[in-house]
Amino acid sequence: MKAMTIMIIRKVLNSVITLLLVIILNFALFRLMPGNPINVMVPPDPRIPAEYKQHLIDEYGLNDPMYVQFFTYIKNALLFKFGDSFTDPGTPAMSIVLSNLKWTLILAGTSSILMIVIGMAIGIASAWKRGSLFDSGSLAFTLFFYAMPTFWFSMMLIAIFATGLNWFPDSGALKFGTRPEWTWASFVDLIRHLILPAASLTLGAIGEFALIMRGSLADVMTEDYITTARAKGLRERDVMRYHAVPNAMLPMVVLIAMTLAFVVGGVFQTEIVFNYPGVGYLTIKATYDLNYPILQAAFFLIAVIMIIAVFIADLLIIMMDPRISVG
Amino acid sequence: MTSEVRRRGLSGPTIERLRLLRKKTVATWKVYRRNRMGMIGLVALLAFVVISVFAPQVMWVLSHIAGWPSVYGPFDEIAPVGSGLPPTKDHWLGTDFRGNDILTRTIYGSRVSLLIGLVATLVSMGLGTAVGLFSGFWGGWRDEVLMRVTDVFLVLPWLVLMIVLAALLPGGPSVMKVVFVIGITGWSGTARMVRAEVMSIKNWTFVERARSAGAGDYYIVRKHIFPNVFPLVFANSVLTVALSILSESTLSFIRLGPDPTRVVTWGNMLEDAMTGHAFLNDLYLWILVPGLCIVFVVLSFTLIGSALDEIFNPKLRKR
Repeated sequence: MKAMTIMIIRKVLNSVITLLLVIILNFALFRLMPGNPINVMVPPDPRIPAEYKQHLIDEYGLNDPMYVQFFTYIKNALLFKFGDSFTDPGTPAMSIVLSNLKWTLILAGTSSILMIVIGMAIGIASAWKRGSLFDSGSLAFTLFFYAMPTFWFSMMLIAIFATGLNWFPDSGALKFGTRPEWTWASFVDLIRHLILPAASLTLGAIGEFALIMRGSLADVMTEDYITTARAKGLRERDVMRYHAVPNAMLPMVVLIAMTLAFVVGGVFQTEIVFNYPGVGYLTIKATYDLNYPILQAAFFLIAVIMIIAVFIADLLIIMMDPRISVG
Repeated sequence: MTSEVRRRGLSGPTIERLRLLRKKTVATWKVYRRNRMGMIGLVALLAFVVISVFAPQVMWVLSHIAGWPSVYGPFDEIAPVGSGLPPTKDHWLGTDFRGNDILTRTIYGSRVSLLIGLVATLVSMGLGTAVGLFSGFWGGWRDEVLMRVTDVFLVLPWLVLMIVLAALLPGGPSVMKVVFVIGITGWSGTARMVRAEVMSIKNWTFVERARSAGAGDYYIVRKHIFPNVFPLVFANSVLTVALSILSESTLSFIRLGPDPTRVVTWGNMLEDAMTGHAFLNDLYLWILVPGLCIVFVVLSFTLIGSALDEIFNPKLRKR
């Protein structure tokens, strides 16, 4: 128990340090910009009233010495304050990012669950029947999708199923001009818009999970306790279900956390191709408009979410691994 | 080979080391040759490399065989500027909205895609290996500091970090910038891997022996530790090239790569195809061909890398 507590405290400390380093990185990056740091926080548009600009300079202390600015920045970052969006003055950047976050969560959540479940099932099946046609087939499938850029696969899906067959809409999260409502029609519309982007994300990543699961199981299958289980006369099914799969889960959890960072990268690409109004779409649009507050807010929010996700994964590993939890 | 080396005045130990290196390379090749997937990848990659290096010559030969009116260049306006034309006898894949021949652009596009993939990999592997070597070798507080920095890069999604860096770095879009951005975002995984490997190597007796003979840190890392992690680093570099090429195409696709009017990459061709509404104009080959090129190049690097990994990675060899 004691070893476990120490480990958890260590993980908490590491996460806090990582968070602080992310804030420092964020601060440094956005002040690497040539010219005045004021350009990063105050919209350059001359039509915007000077009082509003002065108000922003005062509020974020942009004329203070650098070290004062740094501490103001840390304080503001922890309060999620990154200034107002350049394109709509008066609206905090973070609130725009947060309002787009729900779409990213819907898209990433749906496809993450699908890719983990389907990927693991394929991985188990191919590890069970190693060297079979199914095994080599799924390996080829995996490699092909691994080598495929997500944005290109999304474009192909649009070409075939949206503009070609006209089965699904090619852009947006809902019919143009509508807002999400708690009605059946709205829900069906949401699903119709979700299918293609979710399919492109899921199919692209299934392979990776299948490969990890297969590798992890292949390692476990060489262990002595599997031979023992077989010698006891257990059916192959039960050896798999009760002895092999549970032990192969540990590396799986580690890798799910690691792969999450890649899922985010995939979501960004899918969103831009499908004009799906999530955080990725917003962020990439912000780079075109040089909308720095949005860029900072999105970058920070994603970093925080990732740090929390990795921390949870670490906790799960500590709980699951008997070598740690028993002592 | 030996006599040539001797003429250049190299010392005895150097010759011995070169002979050993050749012996190892030959041995590795013998194992590699038996890996079917690895060989397929190698042949496919060689084909791509030949086409990219001799792109102008390939175009010359093609235009003479097919009887095209001229030898096209990737930026030549040989068709009306506008929405692009479907494939014809003179333009096998059609033309894009810039009036450029799509086949020509695809062939020239291999150059920058391969180049960026290779150079960015050198940057990220160099950085990752250096951090991993010293972090693992030193241990203690220096390891702690380096690992916390590594964590930051590991936890941030690669694409998000790349987007922010590419958007913020001063100067317009350029090949150098893309190389820098991909290199600086891709080293953390390597650092972790090398560190783990070093931590298991550094307790071997030969390191102890070197130290008691008075060798310094830098010398031990260079002469004793690095040669032992090199094969693994090499196998992973090949896999990293695949990822770097994917990163380059993604960055170019979201318009953060090099300028498409001056540099062709498969990524910015696909971005053109998207803004040019290639789907609606029935120019499917405009999307299909550059995309498949990316897939096959990435696939061949992945096959080669996995084959090498199977040879060099002690954890995989066991199976």
